[in-house]
Amino acid sequence: MLAKYVARRFLASVVVVLGVTLITLVLMDRTRGTYVPGIDLNPSLRPEDIEHLRANLGLDRPFYVWYLTWMWAVLHGDFGHSMIDGSPVLSHILDRLPNTLELTATAIVIGVLIAIPLGVVGALRHGSKTDHGLTVLSVAGFAVPQFWMGLMLILIFSVTLEQHGLPWLPSSGAFSAFNGGDLLDRLAHLILPATVLSFFYTSIWSRFVRSSMLEVLSQDYIRTARAKGMSERRVVYLHGLRNALIPLITLIGLELPGLVSGGLVVEVVFGWPGIGKLAFERALQYDYTTVMGVTFFATILVIAGNLLADLLYGVLDPRIRYG
Amino acid sequence: MTQPLLEVQDLHTVFRTKEGTVKAVDGVSFELTPGETLGIVGESGCGKSVTALSIMRLQRPGRIVGGKVMFKGQDLTRLTEPEMREIRGKEIAMIFQDPMTSLNPVFDVGWQVGEPTRVHHGWDAKRALASAVNMLGRVGIPAAASRAEDYPHQFSGGMRQRVMIAMGLTMTPQVLIADEPTTALDVTIQAQILDLLRHVNREFGTATILITHNLGVVAGMCQRVIVMYAGRVVESGPTTDVFAHPKHPYTWSLLRSIPRLDAETHEPLRPIEGVPPNLIDLPSGCVFHPRCVFRIERCAKDVPALLQVNDTQHAACWVTQAGGELKGA
Amino acid sequence: MIGPSRVAELDMPAAGIETGAARPAQSYWNESWERLRANRVGMTAGILIVVLAVIALLAPVFTLVTHIEPQAINLDETFLAPGVKHLLGTDDLGRDSLTRLIWGARVTLGVAFLTVAMSLTVGTAVGMLSGYYGGWIDDVLMRLVDMVLSIPAIFLFILMSILFRPNAFTLAAIVASVGWGSVARLVRGEVLSVKQRDFILATRSIGARDTRLMLRHLLPNVLPVLIVAASLGVGQIILIEAALDFLGLGIQPPTPSWGNMLTNSQSYFFHSGFLVAFPGITIFVTVLASNIFGNAIRDAFDPRLKS
Repeated sequence: MLAKYVARRFLASVVVVLGVTLITLVLMDRTRGTYVPGIDLNPSLRPEDIEHLRANLGLDRPFYVWYLTWMWAVLHGDFGHSMIDGSPVLSHILDRLPNTLELTATAIVIGVLIAIPLGVVGALRHGSKTDHGLTVLSVAGFAVPQFWMGLMLILIFSVTLEQHGLPWLPSSGAFSAFNGGDLLDRLAHLILPATVLSFFYTSIWSRFVRSSMLEVLSQDYIRTARAKGMSERRVVYLHGLRNALIPLITLIGLELPGLVSGGLVVEVVFGWPGIGKLAFERALQYDYTTVMGVTFFATILVIAGNLLADLLYGVLDPRIRYG
Repeated sequence: MTQPLLEVQDLHTVFRTKEGTVKAVDGVSFELTPGETLGIVGESGCGKSVTALSIMRLQRPGRIVGGKVMFKGQDLTRLTEPEMREIRGKEIAMIFQDPMTSLNPVFDVGWQVGEPTRVHHGWDAKRALASAVNMLGRVGIPAAASRAEDYPHQFSGGMRQRVMIAMGLTMTPQVLIADEPTTALDVTIQAQILDLLRHVNREFGTATILITHNLGVVAGMCQRVIVMYAGRVVESGPTTDVFAHPKHPYTWSLLRSIPRLDAETHEPLRPIEGVPPNLIDLPSGCVFHPRCVFRIERCAKDVPALLQVNDTQHAACWVTQAGGELKGA
Repeated sequence: MIGPSRVAELDMPAAGIETGAARPAQSYWNESWERLRANRVGMTAGILIVVLAVIALLAPVFTLVTHIEPQAINLDETFLAPGVKHLLGTDDLGRDSLTRLIWGARVTLGVAFLTVAMSLTVGTAVGMLSGYYGGWIDDVLMRLVDMVLSIPAIFLFILMSILFRPNAFTLAAIVASVGWGSVARLVRGEVLSVKQRDFILATRSIGARDTRLMLRHLLPNVLPVLIVAASLGVGQIILIEAALDFLGLGIQPPTPSWGNMLTNSQSYFFHSGFLVAFPGITIFVTVLASNIFGNAIRDAFDPRLKS
């Protein structure tokens, strides 16, 4: 049963990927005419590289040939070459990817760790002042612009603290260039950007956990559990939370795209060397191929993330597994 | 006379709402003797479920505001929550109407049936599972050992209700409260479940309170029955007596309203006139008087108490308490 | 559709009959409006938005009165702290912050509403067709939506903003190119559920054409959901566009927008941190108000959803 479910979801994903490649290349097509001939004059590119680039970019070739060439290249792990220096896009991506994952994974973990207790508290004390306070915080949380929050946190925790001679948090990069790189140093660099990134999601998820919990706690099987003489803690956390978290997983899965890309702004503000910052830097230099390659790569991550979330859901909810 | 196992004395449970205070249980009293099956019958909203939940102290958001529930020398309404938890699932068990929504969808049935033993007795998973499988077998689930690993949605309605019953009996409680156990099931399955309940009652000796709106179910299952209306008990007695000669106009009207196979085809149905009362704003005097065909002047003014009207029956009716007969067209 | 006169003929209490789309729709709208009006917090938020929109529209008037141009560079008066002459201080080029904020409102709010309009139009059309016709049309369109929604939005925005010249219209189109997807799904869902209702069958059985059915019967029923989605979405769109402007990929300076007023702010943190606060607070307040108002509208249309 589970295998069938996995197969179905995987097939759907493949269709989507194919479609995305088509969209991607239709967009790319627009840039074909703007490839500056001057690229041939770049001294650091050997003639073979230029030819390779031209072939890769498919100039002077009909669209479908270009599409197939590109797809073939991608399947071999070739996501194109930078228009600036001809270096393979994929290697840039792989260099930066761990940093992005470090940041986004931390943000998700922080988000979940804070959202679940907040949501449960809100549900258990619904209608109370605590609940109202938490709701207000959540609503406010949705409205804060990420880049601005980043700037403000830097202003407060880096700039102002430093100005007053207090210990301050670093505001850029993943680790210090001089005698840095150890765990504490990396953590210090991680705190601010991860906080900003997780803030928005904590707001959404805590409200969601709250309403999911409220709904679950009003179900008949909760009453049954109480009728069996189970303690309130057991009823809420074992019988209740287990059910309430299932939709949360789906939601987190749906938000995964947002996290892979939402991190971009945070990466730029904090100078975090991830794939978002890569795309941004290259975009400013009109390096279309790199931006395309990164976009496509990120899309694959998104689709894979959705698939993963679906699978997790299938594992957690026996109705899917054995239904 | 055997000492009653459970004694509900003048129980009052209310719900506070924006429109006013709803008196869901308004002075209910009855007894349950060991091993017997007692039926509580009445229409929707008459307070039978809330009475049961009040016994279990699961009536929230309602509040018990008066009366006692005596069980083995203790007043359940006065126990602390931890003390009450020792009773629930262990001494008094309750099963509910809709087994689909009453079973937790994410745990397998073996785990759920075994849970009371793990928590109340402290048994380990293996022992609890063995006992659960045994119980599932006894309630008539075939291939219990493998079925114990299945989830609620993998069972049919009737099987799910059997699982509920197994879950209720796993600690061999002294009292089993069954709240409309067959209402959500197909008619053919209903009969099977009722058979099971009868069997269980005999084999385990568990006293059973059977709550239902279906008079036929009561007739087949219960030695004694109490009839509830608008949060009060209006009649009680042995089932055969109550059905043969009801001593309260409500019971009388209910029995008349059941369509009969042997009736003439041109005879009209005989519903009870009027609508059930608003529990926030009950009528004065006897709660049933606005709809009663036998009412006398006194009925609108004074509230009749539940008193004995013959050797075996009690009724809360001025007419029958004065010796009047209920006979009609 | 049974009108009032027919109801009298049938001699039944008006409240109890299913009269089809028109009559309940009318009282539904009135009822919803009443519920909205009763929501104090929601109405305050709504009024705030209207006030902001009015301020934005009156930006030229403001400049006329104060004689301060938003683009007026004055290198002698850079980085002034808030004071009498410049209520919110001046920026790195001596331009008055308050004036730029007000003109920025025009841009930010304008682009946001434009984006919403575009998203809703395309999304509704697609969702309607998809839901109504079903079959392969539905499959194809929804796969398309899946694909569009799979691409991380911000990467797509970055890509498109270097491919197309970013002005207000193209920016709106770029953001809408992703937004329409969720609208389409939403509309499709609503259409699917409304399609089941009897009055659709009845209208069809009297020979109504597809477009007529879609426009005159399905659309009014889908409208509440759209309105809610729009009001809840405006906030997010403002945030996205502000971010794009901030990155320098949206509205280009010297045209002020709340986002691009913060673009190079890290360079003047040390001495003029306050300049960072104002545009951000403005964005925050606007988005907050639109979120609250959006929630109020949703509660007004369907009070059952209130948690």
